[in-house]
Amino acid sequence: MTRKTFLWATAAFMLIPLYVLTVNAFKGQQDILANPFGLSGLSLEPLGRALTNPNFNVFKGYAITLLFVVAVNVLSVGLAAPAAYVIARSPKRRFRVLMLFFLAGTFIPGQVLVIPVVYVLKTLGLMGTIRGFVLFETTLTLPFSIFLYAGYIATVPAVLDQAAAVDGAGRLRTFWQIVFPLMRPAVATMVILNTFSVWNDFVNPQIILGPGSGLYTVTTGVYAAVSQYSTDYTVVFPTLLLAIAPLLIFFVFMQRHIISGLTAGATKG
Amino acid sequence: MTLTREQAPPVVRKPVGERRRRHDGLATTLMVAPATVLYVVMLIVPVGLALYLSLTDWDGFSADPAFVGAANYVTLLDDPDLRRAALVTLLVAAAGTAGLNLLGLGFALLVNGASRANTFFRIVLFYPHVLSALVVGFLWSAILGTSGAVNNLVTTWGGAVIPFLSDPAWATVTMIAVLVWAGFGVNVVLYLAGLQAVPHSLVEAARIDGATRWQVFRNVTLPALGPSVTVNIVLSLVTLLKTYDLVVSLTAGGPAGQTQTVAYLILWNSFHDARLGFGSAQSVLLMLVTAALAFVVTKLRRRGELAVHQ
Repeated sequence: MTRKTFLWATAAFMLIPLYVLTVNAFKGQQDILANPFGLSGLSLEPLGRALTNPNFNVFKGYAITLLFVVAVNVLSVGLAAPAAYVIARSPKRRFRVLMLFFLAGTFIPGQVLVIPVVYVLKTLGLMGTIRGFVLFETTLTLPFSIFLYAGYIATVPAVLDQAAAVDGAGRLRTFWQIVFPLMRPAVATMVILNTFSVWNDFVNPQIILGPGSGLYTVTTGVYAAVSQYSTDYTVVFPTLLLAIAPLLIFFVFMQRHIISGLTAGATKG
Repeated sequence: MTLTREQAPPVVRKPVGERRRRHDGLATTLMVAPATVLYVVMLIVPVGLALYLSLTDWDGFSADPAFVGAANYVTLLDDPDLRRAALVTLLVAAAGTAGLNLLGLGFALLVNGASRANTFFRIVLFYPHVLSALVVGFLWSAILGTSGAVNNLVTTWGGAVIPFLSDPAWATVTMIAVLVWAGFGVNVVLYLAGLQAVPHSLVEAARIDGATRWQVFRNVTLPALGPSVTVNIVLSLVTLLKTYDLVVSLTAGGPAGQTQTVAYLILWNSFHDARLGFGSAQSVLLMLVTAALAFVVTKLRRRGELAVHQ
């Protein structure tokens, strides 16, 4: 088998699950069972029913997840970027120690945090709230963001800061008006990374928001809608398709940036 | 660059400079403090709490859990569920790491070089990583389940149902295969980055000296990829040791709990059985084992790399 044939065969194998998902999202249970790979009996009805599923309102899921994605990204950039600026620019020992302190956070697995964070959030009265969830998800992004931003700021010439200072700009203004606009590539990488990790997160929203709060993201909503009815394929396929469609479309258009962003994130350990 | 504002002698306009400096000190605090406070409260304190809670019988509700000393650790040492889950987890991590890296490196070599077809292949190999593990699991269980797409086809053709997810051994293998399917695209991209660092002149020289493709790979490319291989192995290992979402959606830990991973057990004990103290002890153990394995692999790989260079 030549290299090209082998690669095309692999590509087909990678795409078959996506094909099965898409095709069967438009078929009734009988057609799915009789001919899972075929194109017979296509209709919009199953998709319509998934859109009005009483167990999982997809649009509410999209809206809540999007709210989380935006809130976490804004908060993460707003907190991590200025902190990274101070750390990268100051020669003082205490900021070097602070960098190491943040760096230590990239080695702590999320699994260890879930249980004690419940304790912390309960103590603060934030358990089951949007604020509590957003604050925790933001915290998870801080160590790697600060690491990435500080590394990037180190490549921005410090003469720019000095010029701004000579012109009378204070530290805050120097950062937000001069340095921050130059950080666009690093910020874009982090935003992509955070968007995917918040959108796809399952454990944290499931446990922090809980089933009682009535708040669900796309992922926890899919779990609620699909896990009970895993053999009713007229529920499974359309729901899964609706859950991944926005991300896949985003991916197709931004694939170069997304692949490099997610790969940078994969190496954070 | 070396002359910072702090070092510049404030001779001419001393009062203004002083005011500026105090103002800048406040600004510095404003820039660093919020991130630091949040980080301490939501990440550092919880790590300490995890250690503390692992010594208590916390059920997730009571305000002050009772201190039970090392009891949770004693219990988990001869907990048959944990022993089985640990075995499954190590198997998944070992086989999965092998699969991710063999396919990752193999396909990186196949799609190396700039061409439209290669870009397409990279995207297709990578895309499952964009989907949540939960969705990937539900999708594959709809394809491989007893009444799933593949078994429908098999039975229509008169074959017997293949127990992809209904037999413990099959289910473990299926889970590893799905993890590899969903993840090796990342390794392809990481190895591609490593391949860009392999000196082209060396490869060329070896070719001119009459080395076969395999010899070039074995003696030039692979040694030059050393650090890349280490990073990839450690990353795969660390990621696979905490496999959770996929277990939930693909097998739900079944059949009969036979595909539960340690991470699955931790969350099950904690939030289904309300034994968060016990779950904390397990998560502390998982963290220590993960750190130890990552450390050992890095050390072994470094020794191997040094041996190559001598």
